[in-house]
Amino acid sequence: MQAKTARAPGRAKRESLRHDIAMNKGLYLLSIPIIAFFLVFSYAPMGGLVIAFQNFRPQRGILGSEWVGFQNFIDFFTNPSFFSILRNTLVISGLGLVIAFPMSIVFALLLNEIGSRKFKKVIQTVSYMPYFISLVVICGLVTEFCSSNGAVTKVFCAITGRPKENLLTNPDYFWAINLISDLWQNLGYSSIIFVAAITSVSQDLHEAAAIDGANRLRRVWSITIPSIMPTIVTMLILRCGSLLSVGFEKILLLYSPSTYSTADVISTHVQRLGIEQTQYGYSAAVGLFNSVINTVMLLAANAISSKVADTSVL
Amino acid sequence: MIEKMTKSRAVFCAVNYALMTLFGVLCLIPLWHVLMASVSDPRLLMASSGIIAWPLGTPTLEGYRIVLSNSAVIEGYGNTLIYVAVNAVAGTLLTAIAGYLVSRKNFRLAKPLTAFIMFTMIFNGGLIPTYMVIRSLGIINTRLAIILPALMNAYYIIVMKSAFEQLPAAYEESAKLDGAGPARILFQILLPLIKPTVVVIIMFSVIGQWNSWYPASIYLPRVRDKWPLQLIMRSLLIQNDVSKLLTSSSEANHVVNMTGNLVKYCVTVVGTLPILVAYPFAQRYFVTGITLGGVKG
Repeated sequence: MQAKTARAPGRAKRESLRHDIAMNKGLYLLSIPIIAFFLVFSYAPMGGLVIAFQNFRPQRGILGSEWVGFQNFIDFFTNPSFFSILRNTLVISGLGLVIAFPMSIVFALLLNEIGSRKFKKVIQTVSYMPYFISLVVICGLVTEFCSSNGAVTKVFCAITGRPKENLLTNPDYFWAINLISDLWQNLGYSSIIFVAAITSVSQDLHEAAAIDGANRLRRVWSITIPSIMPTIVTMLILRCGSLLSVGFEKILLLYSPSTYSTADVISTHVQRLGIEQTQYGYSAAVGLFNSVINTVMLLAANAISSKVADTSVL
Repeated sequence: MIEKMTKSRAVFCAVNYALMTLFGVLCLIPLWHVLMASVSDPRLLMASSGIIAWPLGTPTLEGYRIVLSNSAVIEGYGNTLIYVAVNAVAGTLLTAIAGYLVSRKNFRLAKPLTAFIMFTMIFNGGLIPTYMVIRSLGIINTRLAIILPALMNAYYIIVMKSAFEQLPAAYEESAKLDGAGPARILFQILLPLIKPTVVVIIMFSVIGQWNSWYPASIYLPRVRDKWPLQLIMRSLLIQNDVSKLLTSSSEANHVVNMTGNLVKYCVTVVGTLPILVAYPFAQRYFVTGITLGGVKG
């Protein structure tokens, strides 16, 4: 064991690798299924991305298909619905970032102000619950409540005085329906991490500040929020890394041709053209565009925050 | 901390309690509505609209009788159980092995393997290339297409890794001196020591697999008999395909129309209840699970 910690370059290194294999034969054997799994299900698809540069035909395979350079990308960028798809993607995930994300922090702060432990526990239990209900059920409920006779439609039409209609088929409402149902399902659960962070803030700081005459709001602003800042930044970085990946399973369940103009996002576009219309090369290109932007955003957000806030996730 | 109650503080507290109560009630209403609708009289249910606060007419279990005697629903339930069980057992074992490997300090492959696994969190091939790989493996329309890709993911491995890293090295060293091999060290000595982490991972993979519908919708297009319950629920609740579910029985069309709505609610309850029943027991693990090695996006 001691010999291994002092490694010499060159031949000795090769020697020590052989030694390591001899020493850890069992570990190397156990690695085989793990490596195989990620090779097949993660790295092979990455390699398969070359079809983004092909006019791919499954019968001919990757080797036999015609290479088209960046044509698939050009087709996407010149697609008449390109801008609306990009806009929908950015708006839907932007609404999550600008509204749902701060609301989960505010929810955690408000929850922390509840004095009664029992009441707090009940609210936590109840508000985390929707997160565990399947998307199919959630979207089934949304479909029912937003139908022309549904409960939400009734309330909405009573308030605005509009005639009753199926809200889900009106493209004007899709963003709101998606955001509100998302808040309903995830607000409680996404606040857990902040609740945990707030609970671990030192009580001494609060007491010292109280003695100095800082009122409640002042203490939340100057003690609690700075203390949970690393958590907030970490969550924000992760959010930025998925700016172009909106919860697409939910959109698939909720959208219909009549709402494509506001509901179609990059990943649903990929799903429809790739899986349903089997335009593999084109949709792989669109997916690649999506992945690259996500990765760049994640790395950029991470770099910025490690400079500015001294917090990074990678 | 003892503090005097100012007037503005009292107002704030009242508003805060009211807001929280409102949100809590809003979280419960839809679930209550479904539960009450599922035992309502189908004829009254057809004509009703809005939130159902109490069973309409005489409470009846007619809908549950239809649902639970329906072969598609039973089959879907069975399929879901298979997918959940395989994932919980095989997936967790593999995740434990992977987490153990990448946390070994005297193992030259540990660091490269960590990078190899972590990279899949930052970049992935995406939907279409993954689909092509599954297709070329020849497992489309078989259960393997649902089971295999879901076995492991980088996030759970990292969570396992940090749990193993917190264990003192002495456990492993003394086991090694006793002549135990790596598999024995992992499964008999180390794994029981990180039981809370294992429970969290099993819990989240069970919930994830129970609620999953999308992979089945693209990988099992032609084999309805292998569909998980959620996919059957989708065709019922969202695509409004009640007739397909019910025409297998001998019931006449108008009965189908009438009981269709009722059946939807009953299927929702049947498909959601197991998760909600397990939920209070699982709840104490959430915070551990989420704050364990970082955060799940």
